[in-house]
Amino acid sequence: MFEDLKPKKINLTEWSHQFRKISDQIIKKYKYYGNQDWGIYLSPPATFMVYGARQLKRLKFDNSFAALRLWGFVFNESERLFRAKQVGKKVIATMGDLGTIPVIVMSFPDCIPFYPECIWWTPFFNESFILLDMATKLGAPEPACFSRAALAAFYKKAYFPKPDLMFASTGASCDDYSCIMQLIEGLGYNPIWIEIPFRRKSRSYFVADDYEHTKWGIDYPKRFETYLMSEYEKVWQNMVEFTDINNRNYLAKSIKNANRLRKLVENIKKLSYEAELAPFPGLELMVIEFGNLYGYADFDEWTDIIEMVYATISERVQKGEGVLNPDALPIAWVTPSPDPYLLNLVEDLGCRIVATEYVINQALVEIEEDIEPFQALARSFLNASLIGSTEQRVRRIIEGVEHGRISGVLITNMLGCSHCAMETRLIQQMLSKVPVLSIDVPAPFGITEQLKSRIAAFVETIRCARR
Amino acid sequence: MRETLTPRERFGLLVIDEKPDRCNIIPLVTSHAAEIARMKLKKYYTNGEAMARAQIAAIEEYGHDAISIFSEVGIIAEAMGSDFDYPDDDLPVIKRPALTKKNIEDIKIPVPKRDKRLPVYLEAIGYAYQSLGDKVPILAYVPAPFTTGMMLSDPKTFLIQTIRDPDHIKKIMEKSLQAAIEFCYDIIDAGALPIIVDPLASSSVVSPKAYKNFALPYERALIDFLHRYDLDIILHICGNTEPILDLLLETGADLVSLDQVDLSLAIEKLSKRMRIIGNFDTSKIAFSSPEEIMEEVKNMVKRGIKSKKGYIASTGCEVPIKTPPENVRTFINAAKEVGWYWE
Repeated sequence: MFEDLKPKKINLTEWSHQFRKISDQIIKKYKYYGNQDWGIYLSPPATFMVYGARQLKRLKFDNSFAALRLWGFVFNESERLFRAKQVGKKVIATMGDLGTIPVIVMSFPDCIPFYPECIWWTPFFNESFILLDMATKLGAPEPACFSRAALAAFYKKAYFPKPDLMFASTGASCDDYSCIMQLIEGLGYNPIWIEIPFRRKSRSYFVADDYEHTKWGIDYPKRFETYLMSEYEKVWQNMVEFTDINNRNYLAKSIKNANRLRKLVENIKKLSYEAELAPFPGLELMVIEFGNLYGYADFDEWTDIIEMVYATISERVQKGEGVLNPDALPIAWVTPSPDPYLLNLVEDLGCRIVATEYVINQALVEIEEDIEPFQALARSFLNASLIGSTEQRVRRIIEGVEHGRISGVLITNMLGCSHCAMETRLIQQMLSKVPVLSIDVPAPFGITEQLKSRIAAFVETIRCARR
Repeated sequence: MRETLTPRERFGLLVIDEKPDRCNIIPLVTSHAAEIARMKLKKYYTNGEAMARAQIAAIEEYGHDAISIFSEVGIIAEAMGSDFDYPDDDLPVIKRPALTKKNIEDIKIPVPKRDKRLPVYLEAIGYAYQSLGDKVPILAYVPAPFTTGMMLSDPKTFLIQTIRDPDHIKKIMEKSLQAAIEFCYDIIDAGALPIIVDPLASSSVVSPKAYKNFALPYERALIDFLHRYDLDIILHICGNTEPILDLLLETGADLVSLDQVDLSLAIEKLSKRMRIIGNFDTSKIAFSSPEEIMEEVKNMVKRGIKSKKGYIASTGCEVPIKTPPENVRTFINAAKEVGWYWE
């Protein structure tokens, strides 16, 4: 579908025009759980704009059929979760750990994990303060980051169904969200708390510890692995009690499924970031990367979409086609932006994202399949950048700078996000060889001309530095 | 009881078969909004920004759950060539139908961004969406092909031709369908949910047989087109629709807005597959006392919220332009008093 179109980014109206060429048969093929009376995955951006996603009017999207599937699927998540419950599936909220607990949850038939905190994008997609204002009323004002939107969503019960079970990770996870989760508990929800250890680096002081290193070469005290395994055992036992099913073979299968997606996404990133021309837009690539966390609540369908995306990108790379100008400047993006428009804007101003540090490394790395599953999950999780030092966090970006692949670094900070406040200056110091721009992501619909000028100046600085 | 949800959140739950905090309350406040905004009707229906501002004023005044972009059902027929007069203090009046001047083959499918007052609607949608679109659903009323067809012709001739020359009527229907599709296409892109209105297909105007042969297939086709977008489509037919209640299921509409029908009967026949909207008598909202309205609306809503797939408390047709605002407020307060789903 659309193979004859030259790859490019198009706006909502252009997508609507293109959508008219799709046959009814193809549209009907993509139904929630095969139910003909329900919604469809294959809707153009205009559909979601009608239901309140106001920013879509301003965004640009990739023009491939794969991208249409991707966006239709991602924006349908809320309905998908409600529909899942309506047909008797169990909806399990997994909060804070970002990537590992869903692998366990998906080992249980008809259990669907999701991340309530991913609703932090909603105020931006809707250009709305409804959730943020409600969060403020509920006791999570501006000093907490935009993930506080989840508190309002739990209160309103209109964005996802009441979870059948909830896991909440605290400790070395996002501290703002830990506070939010405590407030959610105060609304009458009962999360099962999991603790994540801080992955300290200083071997020399802690001589009693044995050390291991992860696949990505990050050192960690061995006992953290054991500790995490015991936490995952706790998750497992709660799921067993909840479902009355206890079959560890399912966990091995779930790990295989997760790895299938992780390998695909790794290949997509490699292809996209190393190709001469950018074959896919940065915004879609961010959405793809975050899909590794839980497959937007339908892991199989998401994996199928990602296979199509991979095929699209491969074909474009083979043909030497891209969606950005050939002279777009390669930059790294540090910390995910809750405002999707920023990714569009940065590309429109002449950049191309070729490396990312979105604080979800643990969901990108393959899980070992030849060792005990909980140990494998623990070892993959210990790659997480959020639980270690800042230096470990940006090590890969620094490598990219040193190899000349990255000409500039953009850091997006969130008001209220404590690790942003701590880390940004350190990251800037570590990345002294290339221009670094650190910006605060403004509240919804708050991107000003001044901010655009700052990004434009950053682009110009990179261009001058490259000359 | 405290409201937890915005109108948009409430409507969003309704269309995925979930119960919101309370039922949606959407009396059909259309041109009546001009009264609330103290605006001349002509300005309301000829100026998109004015129409939107009037609708926003009405929302602020009443606190109901949707914006209704609408003035009258001739809008597509006008863009296809029918002539209308624009009185200052009344809605447009048809002066000369297009088919009295041209053959159906010579009538062009309008360009909604350009032709006659279709851009007025699109501008109104854009303005309302930008102002309140995150909180309130924007509904844009689109005349169904049968109604447009009749506004393209002399109504008497049109009705006779449904018997004597059905092929000719079908040609008119096909063209009207295309025009409606093009209009919907731009409405969606502007951010509104199209609501299909087919007042002239009512059993008060045509027989069930004529409805089945000439109106229903084109309502269905228009709704099928909109279902490609995965939109939840409202069909509104005013007047008496009891003789065609069973046929309404065949339209594929997701929500049906009813007028002169026994609500309990409609719930019994339709509510397994459709959400029900309705159906307070518009003459009563215009002329009854607030006390009477309070009691009758409460009775209606108590029955309505038992509807299986969901219910919207509404008037059977448009709130008459000169309805006392106190009566509309009473309607909404009554529905808010008894329309709760959540504890």
